[in-house]
Amino acid sequence: MARELPIRVTVNGKIYERTVPVRLSLADFLREHLHLTGTHLGCEHGVCGACTISLNGRSARACLTLAVQADGADVVTVEGLRAEDGTRHPLQQIFLENFALQCGYCTPGMLITALELLRDNPNPTEREVREALSGNICRCSGYQAIVDAVLIAARQSGAARANAQASEATSRSSV
Amino acid sequence: MTSDARFVNLKAVGSPVIPDEAIPLVEGDGRFLNDIKLPGMYQLAFLRSQHAHARLNYVDAGKARQLPGVIRVLTGKELLGKVDPFRSMPNRFSGGESIQHWLAVDKVRFCGEAICAVVAEDRATAEDACELIEVEYEPLPAVTDPRLGEQDDAPLVHAECKNNYLIKREYQRGDVDAAFRNAHVVVKRPFRIGRKQALCLESRGCVAGYRESTFTLTVWISHQLPYVVRHYLAKHLRLAETDIRVIVPHTGGGFGQKASIYPEEFVCGYLALQLRRPVKWVEDRLENMVASTHARDQYIELQIAADKNGRILAISSDVWVDVGAYSTYLWSAGMEPLQTAGLMPGPYRIEAMRYRTRGVATNKTPVGPYRAVGRPSASASLELLIDELGRRLKLDPVEIRQRNLIPLEAMPYRNANNLVHDNVNYLPCLKLAVAKSGYERLRKEQHEGKPNGKLRGIGVACYAELTGLGTSTAVGPGTLLQPGRDAVTLRLETTGVLTIAAALPSQGQRIMTAMRQVACDELGMRLEDITSISNDTAAAPYGFGTFASRTAVFGSGATIIAARELRQRILAIGAFLLDVPVADLTITNSVVHTLDRSKSIVLKDLTEKSYFSAKSIPQELNPGFEVTAFYDPKFGSFAGGAHIAVVDVDPKTGEVEVVRYVAAEDVGTLINPAVVEGQIIGGIAQGIGEALLEELVYDETGQPRTMTLADYLVPSALEIPRIELHHANVPSAALGGFKGCGEGSIIGALGSVACAVADALSQHGGDIHEFPATPERVLKGLGVLASTQ
Repeated sequence: MARELPIRVTVNGKIYERTVPVRLSLADFLREHLHLTGTHLGCEHGVCGACTISLNGRSARACLTLAVQADGADVVTVEGLRAEDGTRHPLQQIFLENFALQCGYCTPGMLITALELLRDNPNPTEREVREALSGNICRCSGYQAIVDAVLIAARQSGAARANAQASEATSRSSV
Repeated sequence: MTSDARFVNLKAVGSPVIPDEAIPLVEGDGRFLNDIKLPGMYQLAFLRSQHAHARLNYVDAGKARQLPGVIRVLTGKELLGKVDPFRSMPNRFSGGESIQHWLAVDKVRFCGEAICAVVAEDRATAEDACELIEVEYEPLPAVTDPRLGEQDDAPLVHAECKNNYLIKREYQRGDVDAAFRNAHVVVKRPFRIGRKQALCLESRGCVAGYRESTFTLTVWISHQLPYVVRHYLAKHLRLAETDIRVIVPHTGGGFGQKASIYPEEFVCGYLALQLRRPVKWVEDRLENMVASTHARDQYIELQIAADKNGRILAISSDVWVDVGAYSTYLWSAGMEPLQTAGLMPGPYRIEAMRYRTRGVATNKTPVGPYRAVGRPSASASLELLIDELGRRLKLDPVEIRQRNLIPLEAMPYRNANNLVHDNVNYLPCLKLAVAKSGYERLRKEQHEGKPNGKLRGIGVACYAELTGLGTSTAVGPGTLLQPGRDAVTLRLETTGVLTIAAALPSQGQRIMTAMRQVACDELGMRLEDITSISNDTAAAPYGFGTFASRTAVFGSGATIIAARELRQRILAIGAFLLDVPVADLTITNSVVHTLDRSKSIVLKDLTEKSYFSAKSIPQELNPGFEVTAFYDPKFGSFAGGAHIAVVDVDPKTGEVEVVRYVAAEDVGTLINPAVVEGQIIGGIAQGIGEALLEELVYDETGQPRTMTLADYLVPSALEIPRIELHHANVPSAALGGFKGCGEGSIIGALGSVACAVADALSQHGGDIHEFPATPERVLKGLGVLASTQ
């Protein structure tokens, strides 16, 4: 079997073509080859969730995925959450303002997991948030501030959607 | 004085200031140890022992050395005479010396002990090479139980340590025998807590650079004590301290596990010097489970003598701690044994106590400091027994505790363990927890029974936590390392920005933010004009580092002292420039102004003038804007609290669910309430893990059975309930009135959850003495499964 293979992968909207060892994990590819060190390694056996990234729109463990498996894939890491102008993603801002991180090691994985939840279930209950985050270990916070931050984000984007709909309705009626 | 919309009562201290220091972390720009790369950097991996106890007949690295990409293979024998091994710190209670070579020589004493170090161009090659090293082990009988290990015929882990005692102490104060003779009631109870792991999400690691900047050796290390690392690196590598720079990058959790000195980072430093190239070692999780210190692992037998009113007259305890194969470097093997027994009285008024405690060497990973060393098991064993005393005297758990807690009016109160309790709200915390939890209603619901067939249990635990220890109070009785003086340097930069420098690393406690808040109030500066650097021995003044709930107390105290001096210097120059008396001046929002605001100068202009137009200012008024202050709170200050846990136990599966959790805490004056809340809730989560889930299991031959996170269970968001947190704070005697808050809550959590589980089982005539309360132990406690003992 070939020891190295060429891959083409989109990471945070940028296309990369590289030849990589077949035994290289996606996490190591992102960290060592692309210098995207925001994806952290906590166990390298798929339990802790620190390395969670978005792979073709689904959260995935970068430590259990080989770089060659990501050939042709669309990957989003924590570095890809910021807006073009560098503004923090609203969820990042809410994490900051709600003290939803202490050491910060689990944070990138938490953010990616929470964003997937909020996309699929924009109005989750506390129980649903806890279920969704149960594959991401945080050793510092006792989870409460993280769970609260996700619930606040859901409320805020719910309010934003309602406002958008309202203003759309207003603009329609004024026409 | 300052005015900032974010501040409560116009003060930064006490306000939930959003920590700027967390911005890189939330944006994915944190720089943790593993994120550091230097040009030409080699990678290091270790070959580790497969046996708990074995003679090394030979170690042959020939094939490994031939592997392309391998730079160097180092064995223990090659290090002999070149570096100094770790010798257990002499201690007046030590049973014998343990010598830990950085790489094993002749013998291995625990599974996971490093035997060889391999340097290669990349980590995968280094690991491949480890597999090519041939080792012939001659297995020896292993010691795996401290109560068997202390027997006369037990095998010895260290030939020099008789009965495998690394530590042994007996203590008595007051007439314990008379108390037990005259007692109305005597209760006793065994208690066992398993071995656990700090499980920092980021494991240990180190990058050693050669001749970076002006230093021979620069070490980036994931550690809590940068200056202590520097001191001991110098000692063991035979360098001058000034040859070494230690930098602590962002750190993914510490909890005490990163407060000890370990061989791997020292080998890394040695190799960088030898190879004249940077060398990196990052501990992977499988290594971390055996190579980084463990915690707890105790057997306690406790007795209480009480009068007919339930007043405790005396306690007597026997403690065995399985301290593992070596005396943990710096802290000694005394951490758990001495503190567990010594701190047994907790927040209760106890006039007489006796204990016998031992730290017995076994063929397991060494036990080191971990969040609230010794107190959780001391507290849980006492709380469980107090409940039993209450049952005997028909007193509710709250009532019996109220009768024994040290009341404020009795303080300062010197307990039988010779510690003084001063300014701590034990009773108000209990009353607050009782009120907020609706305790009477909880009991009523419990007696009415649960329709779902589960057993409801309610646990009440009160705790004391000695924080901010100064020079007069040792971290552990008898340990030689007695830290107590830490410095902070404040420097007003030419642009009027204040820099706070301290070697007090944060592992998420937001220490920099806390010190900024303290300085903000003292100096009247805007918060955004205050920045902080930390964790670099080349930039920060001397400090012992972060451990034992000390950093906020020390860092804030030193900041206050330095800020007061700096303020005087600012005002003196302000008075000269504005031509007014010093007494007329104050500082608000980084502006120096007269009290009537008729004259003012912004701080930025003042500092610029003092640096760049110094000629126009009299020299004696302008000694420079850099002040270093040391602070020693001398005695520590007790923090305390009361926790009430409600659990549901499934009698069919043995599963325990924490359904409600109320905590009332006295942690002194709050610097940043949101940060404090995070510390307390995080500690409770670790305590719930300790009570229900987390255990490192070894078999009888000393083989670890919990090597992955699929075997070693830490709580997820589903196992931790919403924590209801309340405060009954009173200021401490330390500067600013601060107390530490990093550790206390884990004590209350183990105690309250343990008591709740026992309370649930007691309804079916069951009981539980071993923790964590795994389903198996719960079912044994209910008599559903046969007990092995």
